[in-house]
Parts: sequence; structure tokens; C-alpha cells
Amino acid sequence: MVSVAEDVAIVAFEQTPSHAHFNDSEPAMIMPCVNSVIEQVGMDRHDIDFTIAGSCDYLSGMPFAFVMNIDAVGAWPPVYESHVEMDGAWALFEGFVRLQSGDIDTVLVSGSGKCSPGSYREGFSLQTDPYVHAPIGLDPRTQAGFQAQALIAAGKATERDFAEVVARSHANAKDNPYAQLSGDLSVDELLAEPYVQQPLRRLDCPPTSDGAAAMIIARADKARELCDNPVWIRAIDHRIDSHHPTLRDLTDSPSVRIAADRVGLHDGPVDIAELTVTYSPEEIILRDALGLNGETSVNPSGGPLTGSPFMAVGLTRVIELARAIRNGDGGRGVAHASSGPALQQNLLCVLEGDG
Amino acid sequence: MPQLHDVDYTLEYPYTRTTGPIIGPFLTGLRDGRILGQRCGDRVLCPPMEFDPDTFATLESDLVEVGPGGEVVNWTWVAEPSAKHPFDRPFGFAFIKLDGADTALVHAVDTGGDPEAMSTGMRVRAQFRDERHGSVADVYFVPEADAADQVIEPGEEPVTITEHLIGLRINEPLYPHRARFAQGLLDGKIIGQRSPVTGKVYVPGRGYDNMSRVLMSESDEVEVSDVGTVVAFTELNPVQYYGQTETEPYVRCSILFDGTDQPVIGIDIRDMTVDEMRVGMRMRCIWRDPEERSVEDIDNRYGNIPETVYARFEPTGEPDIPADELKEHSW
Amino acid sequence: MAPRPCAVIGVGQTKYKRRRDDVTLDGLVREAALRALEDAGATFDDIDAIVIGKAPDALEGVMMPLLSLCDALGAIGKPIHRVHTAGSVGASTAISAVNLVESGMYDTVLTIAYEKQSEGNATWALSGGKSGGQGAGGTFAPWIRNYIARSQAPEHIGWMVAVKDRLNALKNPYAHLHLPDISVEKVRESPMLWDPLHFLESCPSSDGAAAVVLGNDDIAKKSGRPPAWVISHAKRTEFGQFPGRDTVRPQAGVECSEALYRKAGITNPREQIDCAELYVPFSWYEPMWLEGHLIAEEGEGWKMTDAGDTELGGSFPVNMSGGVLSSNPIGASGMIRCLEAANQVRGTAGEYQVPGAKISIGHAYGGAAQYYAMWMVSSELNPVF
Repeated sequence: MVSVAEDVAIVAFEQTPSHAHFNDSEPAMIMPCVNSVIEQVGMDRHDIDFTIAGSCDYLSGMPFAFVMNIDAVGAWPPVYESHVEMDGAWALFEGFVRLQSGDIDTVLVSGSGKCSPGSYREGFSLQTDPYVHAPIGLDPRTQAGFQAQALIAAGKATERDFAEVVARSHANAKDNPYAQLSGDLSVDELLAEPYVQQPLRRLDCPPTSDGAAAMIIARADKARELCDNPVWIRAIDHRIDSHHPTLRDLTDSPSVRIAADRVGLHDGPVDIAELTVTYSPEEIILRDALGLNGETSVNPSGGPLTGSPFMAVGLTRVIELARAIRNGDGGRGVAHASSGPALQQNLLCVLEGDG
Repeated sequence: MPQLHDVDYTLEYPYTRTTGPIIGPFLTGLRDGRILGQRCGDRVLCPPMEFDPDTFATLESDLVEVGPGGEVVNWTWVAEPSAKHPFDRPFGFAFIKLDGADTALVHAVDTGGDPEAMSTGMRVRAQFRDERHGSVADVYFVPEADAADQVIEPGEEPVTITEHLIGLRINEPLYPHRARFAQGLLDGKIIGQRSPVTGKVYVPGRGYDNMSRVLMSESDEVEVSDVGTVVAFTELNPVQYYGQTETEPYVRCSILFDGTDQPVIGIDIRDMTVDEMRVGMRMRCIWRDPEERSVEDIDNRYGNIPETVYARFEPTGEPDIPADELKEHSW
Repeated sequence: MAPRPCAVIGVGQTKYKRRRDDVTLDGLVREAALRALEDAGATFDDIDAIVIGKAPDALEGVMMPLLSLCDALGAIGKPIHRVHTAGSVGASTAISAVNLVESGMYDTVLTIAYEKQSEGNATWALSGGKSGGQGAGGTFAPWIRNYIARSQAPEHIGWMVAVKDRLNALKNPYAHLHLPDISVEKVRESPMLWDPLHFLESCPSSDGAAAVVLGNDDIAKKSGRPPAWVISHAKRTEFGQFPGRDTVRPQAGVECSEALYRKAGITNPREQIDCAELYVPFSWYEPMWLEGHLIAEEGEGWKMTDAGDTELGGSFPVNMSGGVLSSNPIGASGMIRCLEAANQVRGTAGEYQVPGAKISIGHAYGGAAQYYAMWMVSSELNPVF
């Protein structure tokens, strides 16, 4: 397990609803989240030691788009600040790591993305190998299709299993005010829908979403000072697999297995798992690689199948888990973020309540 | 809210890629109707890689022909092709283990639009396009029984650099405050936003005051003067790049409109030379006739006042504002 | 807990060129990474985590490129993350990697930054893909004019910097520009791009990558190579435009250097620091940063340049390697500054070594001169000033 010198807790969090289209700028979307977390802890913004954000210029349709986002987090007087071109969950990773040095107390973390103005399917094909994959438009939905087919071929899942993931996710989202999609779906009716990417159907794939998320994390003493019910980040780790899908066993996730080991996932009960299930078959792979059994509640929020604002969606999993723990729905759980096609890169974050 | 155009543009550039000692010969092979794999110990990697995928040790270029036949080991059916896909009708993407290769290539299989023709274990064969550029898209695959024999004339020079026109279309409505700003310009008015916290006036408004981290709305909007002071200027000698339409030098300046606290940057001046410009000079916007004004170029990025609404900016003849009074606004 | 001590134990650079037509992106980053590993006496197996940085993805048209470069960097099964802070990114990335080591969570970290500018076009990217872009020079030129007006600096200062950095670059085999017959006259006679900046006062557009292997104190002591201890680092950000902004001497830059010096115990940077690699993409930024980072008093920076203090052999050498004016793969340029500062205190700077250099700084800035990242390296873990 990764050695952790400093106990770190989430002391405030906020997310936007998952919007089908947010009709204003990315900073305007982030700003209320940032203001909310600052208000929750009652701090002066400039007493926050470090600030770090995650976003993606390409998603925002403009080189250097991330520069505008500092309007939302505040940068006057000057701030100690950085940015990762990744989901906000990796901003959380860097913030957590930074607190381990023990010389600062608080970090403001955010993540944001607007998928609605562009074509996610076309744009994200630029994440693939620029010589042999991007020129044929190898898109993430196609790679999810490969993963689904590999699961079926290996006898590890059926299309009915995928539909059951979808139905449960949408049902769970009925209680989630931030969800974009929710409702009661029948598995048989789902299976009667046409394929969009055989063996995947429309609702096996995520909606197009815009959204943002923010949180403040703090070292132990400061955390207790700032809030009554800190949620502790016990460990965080992330790992990556090959970018050549044909070199991977797509029915498994070695990177998740390594990360699960590193964060000591099974050193305690796993009551809740908030997983970045962008395509329904991914839940089957993740459950297996994480070693989850029936005692773990998976994606009680509904997960990304019911709202998937890329660049915020991973950080939002951490928030959904923190909220569930605060609400007493469980004492310990894992949040998962993913980057790249077909679960190529994975981050795990173990949270525990203040019990 | 005014009903104006949607923002619709394509962020596009014709990128070039240098192809190195292993990808280059692979792409040269495709142009010449052959598929090459890279030797890696006892294995042959196709697509070729520059290093051993297990040990990451660098591989010397050592390519060997594989295919043109192969076996589908995984597949998925694309019911709705995207603009970036190799076919505009439904097709299969497949992992294809070419004869003689130990790893699989991801590529497109054309079955004439029939998903029923796809299966794991099916035999496929490479077909080369008539127009080939040294790209992985020079080839595609068909069920072996449908394959035609092809005579491919090899090219001359090896492929060392390839071109890729990569575009990303952005399409969304103008944000409400951008639409009101644009409508203002059509009406010959400059609309700004006054911070409810500090009272400072920003033009154009961004929908928020970043200094106070507060959102702003229509109720915070004010019409400001179309007379202001030059706070900075520069002469642009246009650098040529893809999409650049400017060719001749011109002046770009920032103008602080009366009653505002932040200059509008990027105002282009065509009828004055840089020698005629001064920091502190008072200027007035001379609007185009209403029927000649257009705001089609306004998008959702933080932007300026486009030339399509003004005829020119004209010195008012008032005395200059002393430069030290403008120090706060030297953008 | 105190931060775990962190040292540079290996560095690697590619040859910088207008177009590296002999390599793919994979090949470019591996060239730097493998050289850094070799210098550190390490292999990919020794690396616990990787941090990668570059400027906007649209410069090469590859989105979130760590996803396609992870195999080439031996990152499979490891943590790898990507920093992007505009032009300051190379230094920000190095600092993020230092954070990983200082946290105690990772012992040995590889960090790499690159740009293959020839694949795209930086001015296109800076213009957001639209016509009418003014480029970085168009943004900075008015601020440079304000500096000149404020400091009353004579016009030849910019020309001197342009010559000095190109002469230094002649000693650096990795440098992109090798202009042996550079002279003040040639700079002055070169085309005016953005008044007062002439063509030869501006940085080139380069392909290249730079990599650094960082280790904690145990790793550094075991390594047979001289370490460069990262004794301090700092980052600061401010908005690009707001009423009252000082664009000549941005407050974020001042506060960044204050934080850097405070952490290291530096009270007199001009005397206590032996040399500096400052991010100078346009000649006039040398005196501007000497002042903006508190090495010189306000209005005095150009006098250091004028007196030859910043030359190799002067009392405060700046950009001994030739600097950004001689090599500019944008995303890597900040890491090159950090790496070259480390070369000086390791005594591995070859022909451009400052004799006996013990304390050096690497610096980068980005955006509208609004992002700052700096690190200070020392030949000793606990230098006494």
C-alpha cells in the first residue's frame, strides 16, 4: 500500500447538475461550485494554500481554454495554482500529494467540461495513436464496443447484463437531483432497442453532458477546524494500460487491480463504489477487477450513464461517495475515475467517514 | 433575449507528422500495397512499434511483410459512421490478426453494410484504395470471398511525413450575455456589465466579475459611451498561417471607453498608421449604417468589437489623456 | 512531516531543431527520456511515477497525449499524469514531479516535457485557430515598450541580450540556433516584427523534448552522479487582464520569486544565487525578469545587461545554455530552464559551465505573463547563505 504521511480529508464539495447543455461559459459553470465550497468552510478565498483544476482544451474547442477557467477560481491577488489536462480527479490526486509534504494545509480542487458544443465521438478519437488509430477515426464508442464484444466472447457477460447495469443506474438516479437521465427502464425493453455500436445500444452509452465540480481538501488539524464531518481520503492511486487496445485483455483491467492493491481497497469494508462507468460493460470489468461482491452498493448516484460531464465526471464520483458517506449510507467506499478509451487509465480513491 | 446566429466553427489545422524509422516504412508499404510488421524477438508486431511493448527496449527497424489476409479476433459494428470514419455507410471495426503477425491491427471491414457478415474468426483480406497517401487509411478490409485482386503501382520516395487535416466542429447558441452584447452592437450601442460588488464596468461583460467571483446578469448591464481613450496599440505585420486572411500591416489597439474600467482589446484600425497612434488619444466609434452592420463573427469566446459593425475609429481632437492616468489599463 | 528531500539525478535532452524530421512523437520523447535514465544510471523499471507536460494539445493535434505516449515512456502499470499551464508548463511539470518525491509516496520520478511545433503552428494556436492573430510578440510588445518608457533603458539592451544568448548557444550542442556571426548590427538590421522587437530578438519555433529523473535523498545518495538538490520551488498565477494590472512587473511574478527565496532562505538573490536560466522568449524579458523576480531593483535590470553582468563570465550569468531565444519547443522550454539550472550546480554544463556554481534557478512564465513557475537547485542539500 502507498505510504501516506498526512491524513487528508474532504471538507467541502459541490457539483453542478449534469446539463444536456449549459448555455453559458465554462467559468460561469464552475464559479458557483467554487463559491459554494469556500462558503461551506467559511474561509477567505486567499487563505486557501493551493488551487488546482482539471479540464481539456480540446473539449472546450480552443487552445488555452483552461486559462479562462481561472476566472472562476479566483486569481487576484495572485494564487499558488496549477492545472492538469485531465479529469478533476487527477487534480485531486495532485492536491492530495501536495498536502503530504506537510507545509501547506488546504487545496481547492475543481474539474469542468462542456461536451455539448462539440462532437465527443469525433473529438475523442484524437486521444488514440496519431499514426495508426486517429486517421481512421477510432472513437471511444468503438473501443467500448470492442470491450463489450470481448466480454461476451469470453463468456464473462451478456447483453442482458449490460441492460441490467443500465436499468439499475437509471433507477438509482431517480433520487439524484444532479442526474441528467433517470427512470424505470425494463431490461427487456432495453434489449429490444436497436444497436448503435453492436453489441451496444444507445443507453449503454453516456449522454452528452456539461458540468463542473469542486472540493476543498485539508490536512487533519485544519480539516477538523473547518468542518464537523470531514470525509477522510485514506489513499489515492492511479495506473495506466497500453494505448494499443489489441495488446490488452479488454475483459480485465490490470491497472485497476494494481491501483486497488496500492490503495488497500480490501483492508476494510467496501460499502459503496462510485465508478466511472461510461459504457455499461465497464461496470462488469470494474466489479471484477476491484473484487466487489454483493455487499457493495455500486453507483447509488446512477453514475456516468445518467450524466457524464467529461473532466468533471471523475471528481464527481468522489463527491457522490463523500456525500453518501456523510449521509451515513456507508462508512467506507471507493471512488473511481477513468481517462482514455475502454478504461485505459484508472484512478482509485478510498474514502472513510469520521466514525 | 435576442435571437441571433448560433456559434458554428471548425477548429481546423492541416497537421504534419514525421514518421520515423518504423512507422515511415509501414506507411510507405501501405502506399505501395503491402502491409509490414516489425520484428520484435520471435514476434512480428502489426501495427509496428518502435519498442518492445513488454520491455520498452528500442527496436531497430526490421520490417517484414504480413497479410494481406488475416483473421478477425474481435469486432464491433458501427451503425452510424462519424465524419472521421473510413466509410460513410455502416461498417465493422475489427481487430485483425494478419497472416504472419502476432498482434492485431485495428481496422475497418466493409461488408456492404451487412452486420450479419461479421463474426469472430472470419477471414478478411486487405484492399487498397485507388488514392493512397501513405496513411493507415490507404487500406481497408473485406471478407476474403469478396476480395478483388489488385495491381498496385509502388510510389517513388519513401513516406517520411504525412498530412492530417484535423478539425473539430463547435456548435452552440450564443450565450445570453453574448447575444445581448451582439444585439447592442447591431443597435449601435456598446453594452457592458457593472459589477454589483465593486461597481467596475467591464466591456464586453463575461457574465461574471472575476475579481469578486460573482455572476452577472442582464440587470447588471449598462450602455457605455462609444468614445474612449487609446491605452495601448501595436502594429501587426501578419504572420501567415492556416486560416489567416490578413496580409497587410495594420494597427491593433485597446480602447478604454468612457465610464468603463477595462479596455476593449483587439480593435483594428485600418485607416491610420502606427505613427499616427498615441497612448492617451481620444477616439470615437463611427458606426456603419445599421443595415450594413453584422455580428456574424461574434462567438462565445471573450471577444472584441468586430469591424463588421464600425466604419472606423476617428480621433475626437480632444486633448490626450496623460499616460500616467491610464496606468491601470495598459493592456 | 517535512517534505522529503528531492534531487535531480539525471537529465536528458534532444537536439532542438526547426523540424525533427527523423522521429515520431514516440521517438522524440524516448530520446530525452532514455538519455535522462542513462544519466541517472536507471531504467524504466526504476521509475515509480511519470509526470508529463506540454503546451496546448492543438499544437500537435493529439488530445491528452499521455494516453498515446504512455507505452513509449514505459508507463504501463504506473501512475502518469499531465500538467498544462501554458508557456510555464515545462517548469510547472518539473515542480509537480518534485511534489511527488517530496510527498514520500514515490521514490524515483521521471518527468518529461516536449513540443513538436513543426507538426502544427503556434501562431495558429495562439490565435484560437482564427484569422487576425497577433502572436505572442504582439501581446508582449506593448508591455516591453512600457518597460522601456518606465526604466529609460536605451534601445540597444534588447540587441545585446539577443547576441549574448546566441553566443552562449554556440557552446551548447543541443541548441536549435547556432548563429556564429551574430552581432548587434545584425540584430538591429533584422526585420522589425513587433516594435521594438526585431526578428533576431525573438525565439525560434523548435521541436524537442527534455526529461529529468528525480530521486529522494536515499536514491540521490546511492546514485553515483552528482545531485542537484531542489531546495525550493514556487508557482503563482494571476488573471491576464484586470483594472490595475501591472503588465510590466506582474505581481504574480514578484510573489513567486518572494516565495522561492523565502523557502530557500535567500535574502539577497543577486549575491546568493550564482546564475539563472530565465524564460526569455523576447530579448527584453531578460531585464524585465531581473527586476520582476527581484534580482535587480526596479529600473536597474537593464544596467546589469548593459554592464555585461549577465554574460557567461559576468557576475550574474543568465541563460548560459542559450535560453529560449536559441531553442523553443514551447512545452519543454520551462523544463529546459530547470534542467540547465541543475546542470550548472551538478557541474555538468560543459562549455557553458559557470565555474563553481552552487545555487541556480530555473524559471518559466506563460499565458499573458500570468503563470509563473520557478525552482532553485543547489549542489548541497542544506546550503548556508
